[in-house]
Amino acid sequence: MKSLRCVCILTIYLLMGQALSAQAPPGATVHGIITAGGSPLPGVSIVVKGTTQGTTTGEDGSFRLSVARNSVLVISHTGYQVQEIKVGNSDRTVNLSLTESRSDLDQIVVVGYGTRRKSEVTGAIVSVSAKAIQDVPSANLTQALQGQAAGIDIQKSGGGSHPGQSPSILIRGSRSVKAGNGPLIVVDGIPFQGNIDDINQDDVASVEVLKDASSTAIYGSRGANGVILVTTKRGRTGQKPTVSYSGYAGFTKWLGEYPMMNGPQYLELKKWATYIGNPGVYTGPDDPNLINGSFIALAPEERQGIAIGRSTDWQKLVYRTGIMTDHQVGLQGGTDNTQYAIGAGYYHELGVYPGQGFDRYTVKLSVDQKLGNFVRLGLSSLNTFTRTKGENVNPMGQALRASPLVSPYDTTGKLINGFLPGSANQVWNPLADFLPGASVENRHRLGTFNSIYIEANLWKGLKYRFNGGAEIRSDIYGNFYGKNTTNNLGVQSTATNATTETTSYTLENLLIYDKTIAEKHKINFTGLYSYQKYSTQNTTFSYSGVLSDQAQYYNPALGFNFQATNSSDNNSLRPWALISYMGRLNYTFNDKYLLTLTMRSDGSSVLAPGNKYHLFPSAAAAWNISRERFMENAGKLSSLRVRASYGQVGNPSISPYQTLGSLTTQTYNYGSTNTTGLYPNAAPNPGLGWEYTATANAGVDFGFFANRLTGSVEFYHSYTKDMIMPVTLPPTAGIPNQILTNVGKSENKGFEIHIAADIIQAKSSHEVSWSADVNFFINRGQITQLLPTLTTTLDGKPADIADKWFVGKPIGSYYDYQRTGIWQATSADSAAAKALGQTITGTKSVIGQAKIADRNHNGVIDAGDMMVVGTPQPRWEGGTTQRIAYRNFDFTLVAFARIGGMISSTLYGGGFASTMQGNYNNVNVAYWTTQNPTNAWSAATSAQTNPPNHSTFGYFDGSFLKIRSMTLGYTVPSSFVKAMGLRTVRFYATAKDPFIFFSPYRNKYHGIDPETAGTLNLDTPASWSMLFGLNVGF
Amino acid sequence: MKYRFCFLLLVLAACSKQLNENPQSQVTPQFFTTAQGFQSGLDAAYGGMRSLWGTENLFTLACIGTDEFQTGNDGTGNAVNYYSSGYTPADGKVSAIWTSCYTYINTCNGLVDNAASITGISATQKAEMVAEAKFLRANYYFVLVQFWGNVTLNLHFQAVATTAAKRDPKADVYNFIIQDLKDAIAGLPASPVQGGILPGKATAAAATHLLAKVYLTRGGSSAAATDDYQNAYTLATGLINNSGTLGLGLLPDFASINQEGNESNKEVLWTVQHTTSLAYNGSPTQNSSGQDNVLVHMWVPKYETYVPGMQRDILDGRPYIRAIPTRWLTDTVFADKTNDSRYSKTFQTVWYCNNAGGIPKWPATVPAGVDPSLAGKPKFTLGDTACYMPGVDVTDAKIAATRYLLMPPRKYNIQMGPYMKKYIDTRRPDMNAPSIRPVIVWTLGETYLIAAEAAYNIGDAPDAVKYINVVRERAAFPTGNAAAMDITAAALSQDFILDERSRELCGQMTRWLDLVRTHQLLVRVKAHNSDGRANIVPRDTLRPIPQAQMQSVTSGPAYGPMGDPLWN
Repeated sequence: MKSLRCVCILTIYLLMGQALSAQAPPGATVHGIITAGGSPLPGVSIVVKGTTQGTTTGEDGSFRLSVARNSVLVISHTGYQVQEIKVGNSDRTVNLSLTESRSDLDQIVVVGYGTRRKSEVTGAIVSVSAKAIQDVPSANLTQALQGQAAGIDIQKSGGGSHPGQSPSILIRGSRSVKAGNGPLIVVDGIPFQGNIDDINQDDVASVEVLKDASSTAIYGSRGANGVILVTTKRGRTGQKPTVSYSGYAGFTKWLGEYPMMNGPQYLELKKWATYIGNPGVYTGPDDPNLINGSFIALAPEERQGIAIGRSTDWQKLVYRTGIMTDHQVGLQGGTDNTQYAIGAGYYHELGVYPGQGFDRYTVKLSVDQKLGNFVRLGLSSLNTFTRTKGENVNPMGQALRASPLVSPYDTTGKLINGFLPGSANQVWNPLADFLPGASVENRHRLGTFNSIYIEANLWKGLKYRFNGGAEIRSDIYGNFYGKNTTNNLGVQSTATNATTETTSYTLENLLIYDKTIAEKHKINFTGLYSYQKYSTQNTTFSYSGVLSDQAQYYNPALGFNFQATNSSDNNSLRPWALISYMGRLNYTFNDKYLLTLTMRSDGSSVLAPGNKYHLFPSAAAAWNISRERFMENAGKLSSLRVRASYGQVGNPSISPYQTLGSLTTQTYNYGSTNTTGLYPNAAPNPGLGWEYTATANAGVDFGFFANRLTGSVEFYHSYTKDMIMPVTLPPTAGIPNQILTNVGKSENKGFEIHIAADIIQAKSSHEVSWSADVNFFINRGQITQLLPTLTTTLDGKPADIADKWFVGKPIGSYYDYQRTGIWQATSADSAAAKALGQTITGTKSVIGQAKIADRNHNGVIDAGDMMVVGTPQPRWEGGTTQRIAYRNFDFTLVAFARIGGMISSTLYGGGFASTMQGNYNNVNVAYWTTQNPTNAWSAATSAQTNPPNHSTFGYFDGSFLKIRSMTLGYTVPSSFVKAMGLRTVRFYATAKDPFIFFSPYRNKYHGIDPETAGTLNLDTPASWSMLFGLNVGF
Repeated sequence: MKYRFCFLLLVLAACSKQLNENPQSQVTPQFFTTAQGFQSGLDAAYGGMRSLWGTENLFTLACIGTDEFQTGNDGTGNAVNYYSSGYTPADGKVSAIWTSCYTYINTCNGLVDNAASITGISATQKAEMVAEAKFLRANYYFVLVQFWGNVTLNLHFQAVATTAAKRDPKADVYNFIIQDLKDAIAGLPASPVQGGILPGKATAAAATHLLAKVYLTRGGSSAAATDDYQNAYTLATGLINNSGTLGLGLLPDFASINQEGNESNKEVLWTVQHTTSLAYNGSPTQNSSGQDNVLVHMWVPKYETYVPGMQRDILDGRPYIRAIPTRWLTDTVFADKTNDSRYSKTFQTVWYCNNAGGIPKWPATVPAGVDPSLAGKPKFTLGDTACYMPGVDVTDAKIAATRYLLMPPRKYNIQMGPYMKKYIDTRRPDMNAPSIRPVIVWTLGETYLIAAEAAYNIGDAPDAVKYINVVRERAAFPTGNAAAMDITAAALSQDFILDERSRELCGQMTRWLDLVRTHQLLVRVKAHNSDGRANIVPRDTLRPIPQAQMQSVTSGPAYGPMGDPLWN
């Protein structure tokens, strides 16, 4: 136990870059080389057990140490298993290979305003290592985190797969209906205002996710949705300059096509739609008058298509093979006094649709410098430039509706640059957008994020630290769509320009006091005073009728009909400021009993005067049971600790000026005199405040078999109060906007398990090793209180029908009619439908259409029959990383699963691909006909724009298991590499997103990818990639 | 050591001033008390009219569900058209009009209330602007009181949020409107066509016409005052008598009143403006939503799919086909298609082929009466008639033998029939774009009909006939027999006046209100509207108070029934 403590303390010292000076009595000299995976390991701590005497390995992994005879050396390094070596009586050579530790309790965890050993952490924090992030070659950091940590739900927004698109992150579910559920991002200690995906994942040393209120309370008003701490790579003490390169290149393919009808199927649909939509006119779908009659809308080109058996697969024509490539160069090094890390990266991706692309250039620098014995200072600079092309390009609106009976080319073989025949002038040739210069959309983002710190040891154990952060972002957006594009359908060209500049700076003053009293009482106090000022300004305008298409959006002087709208995001200047005081006390007794008390006070500019400050308290305790005497003989149980915490945090949900009321614009003209007027649209709202979430968390950390199997289990229950709910004012109030009030409540509870296991430990590099990380988590959220003035209920509980918020149901629940089948053409069904007030003859006949349950048994189908048909909340989620190594080969598989939970798909339940009208191409379903009396899909009819109760066809089980990546790597033997003058060389091949399993939506209904945060839109299809990569260390 | 303590100096002092907000890019309600804000509020109050005239909402509530128009093919989802059980207080079109009126009434109230304290505008200008605000406010309240009867009367600006509201007797609302319009008449410029008045601006002439109509309407309501018809008569005839000096007058040709590009003619008293400058025209994206003028789409039939040889073009329009004329309107009201030129000037009955690819061919065996040598040949060529509606019956044989689509009245259907063409707009940027034409709201032609209706209600039918005959004689232009158009006092009745209003004003956002004013809604819907006749009940003479209003009054007394035996 004692030795362990020494190691812990040492590790902390090492992390602080404090070199040890050892003064040991002569005895034996020990020297050797410490390696890991065949490569020398620098910076390994070698300490004589029971003392503070020791050293660290150099760049070549070697060390030399004089020690007393019969000493025991403790050899430890972050991320590796601790080993002990007995020295004996004489000099000795110790060459040791360290084994990677899957979960080291002495691992250093970043906790926000400091670091703690994992064994000292009292809250619920999950740590993701650089290795885990780099295991998954990804477009961005968020994607790399997917499936890696319990309680973190990361999903593609809307199912979109545009290059450069950021997934959504939910930590422990949704708690807010209006205020947002996104976490706070903190990079190198400074709140980060940019997008988390602006950070190059290769610059990241670790990611910590703070989940419970005790951990996030130090971020006070911004902690309610969890906090993601990103720590970037820094140089190490005593590290020779090392250069590394890593890179990959590969291709991206669409994961599938939307299941649309082919030519003959489409023609059949048209016939049925026309036959059913014109009751009494035709004898049946095979009536020859159908084709020749005046009701069926068949263009001559379609008739020709029928004659020659044409069946155009529009999707094949619009998709192309994309590209993904990434190159990273890094340089790291350090002396006792100066450490540095430099990195440069380039990422390039082309999507599966022309016009989509994403490039990211990053440069990263960090320097740490020691001044004298008491002062350290450092700088870190993260610079990112990204170029996104075609972020809103969505060819599906045209490609899925286009008639498969027509060709994209006219009779002379020229591309039709106009409406496609047979589309009632609604469907523009999607290929027309590919013509050079026709469709242009660019976003250039430049972000520079810089932080400095100065740390001074003022007195024994008393440390002062200043953190300063400055962030400047510019975002320049422009688009131009020519007259003849799917955007403008031949009307006139349009262009938009948008410029955003965001600045933010943070100044923090910290006092840190560390004191150990009587060896057993450890006190650590952190006091903070911080000030953050943020400002963003945006200019957005659009115009049309650009004189010269060649000018695209670059010269607004060539445009007409300028429009600029004023909203919270557009054409605005939005500053806010936050003044915070925070105090945190950590108390440890004998390393067994730990207590953390935190208090933060935030004052915010966005709240009304008199209302600006709020206090956020929290407390947490932990008990390291395995350090108790009675646990010494616990057998296979090698470590055990329990934790509990409670605290309150806020959700900074209010935008600047939101409490002030506003006027909005109203355009008008008097003849040729144009005016823009202003009228009141939002009332002042001085009472508006933050939402608060209180969380109780209990956790157990355990280790078995000498910590070969470790893990933790968390239980939590969070209560959100003062949830911001919009109140609709009576229209007679004369102020149209809703007013926000703090009245709602919601709850989330759940549990999370994380297990890491070294299933097979290799005794030597010639044996197989296998380790695995598994996480599994469940979250159950529900709204518990809505506006007290609500009069509407659902199943006896208050229900906000308009907003689809229901007490007792999760946020985002789907509210709809319950479809029990299809009304069949039987006398029984006809009578039943008639009894429910349904029309059973004529163009509005429900026969062949959705059969809706009369849930409230009032004898008619009305709004009272609607119900919560499902929720997007999964039954459970989980992820796993499996690593297998044999000789020089390594194999890594990352997978995650989301089981249960409903998705709403616009492919089937809305939108333009399932109108069943026969006007446009349709998703290929076995629709109802008199010959196919199915209960699954409604009949086609030309008399209705959409099937009645269309949305009821769009709900699916959203379960899936996704293979996130499979990587096979080969590390070139070091002897070979050394001969080439290199340090390490590894080749690998990765299949990214190759498979989706257990997805009913994909397997049974031929959807492409069920992953979505919310509704699954019809957009660029999901893709998979094959990548080939190389890592070289110089 | 030397570095040790100097860092304490880095502690920064931030004072609470850092937490004050200075909203530079957001305009707050205080702006309304400035001269700049006063002008912008007035412009917004005018602009708010676009939420009414020109939208599908007012079109639906005022035109469909009457004796004139019923549901077309693409309006079948609108339960309000049918007065059916699906038509409820939750109806979106009903609540949209209610909400728009109150939003802009509040704006007008802000102008009227703040006027006294505003500096930086001359007293004359301020007085005129207040008069404009009152004219607009009266218009908004008049819409409310006609559709809903007893409504909330907000006399003053409401800057803070309230969840309370009460209904006021419609008599109070009428009194308020009348006072506003009296003030407006006193303070506004006289004529829309004199003194460089900008199009769309309020004038005393428009206010006078409106006040006459307000009196006429109140005269037919339970809030009637004894001198309402007399006041209506005095105002309307006064305006007619002064029209010469005001530069106003009836146009010789009925067709030119609603002619595209001619919206500022001397017969027009007030318009709600739209413009070729698309950024100022309506919805930001010009997608026929929000405040766009979509009247151009509302009656357009499905010619592009129904008529062989036709495709969509800008002249024939975008087929929204929300409404079709009742057979009573096309066949009975406009029975006289010889002397009365208004049928052909109101309805499009012929379409010319614009799609060579869609021209039909004669079958191998041609129908009787067709030259057999034409078998398999195209029936017509580009530019030829593709569809014609003669307005009288023809035989099936004749139809079969006609090279274009010949549609007698018995063939009219919800997809295709005579097209109400008053809103044709060929200068729109695109065939799918909303209209850039101003919407004509009040015309001097209607002033004559108001004068006639007022005179008739006073009991002076001979005098009423004088005014009606002016309008009828004009309808004979150019080839009809004007004298034959004249009617006698004996022939005059309330029904005749209503029919005459149809011939003159059909499709002009007034019919439903006319029928309610004259207590003929139920009678005439039952008689002439096959959609609504089975469903309409007495409560349908008012629109339901929107559910959004009822539910959102959460403090104070509930927004409940107020003596109305009808909806609420």
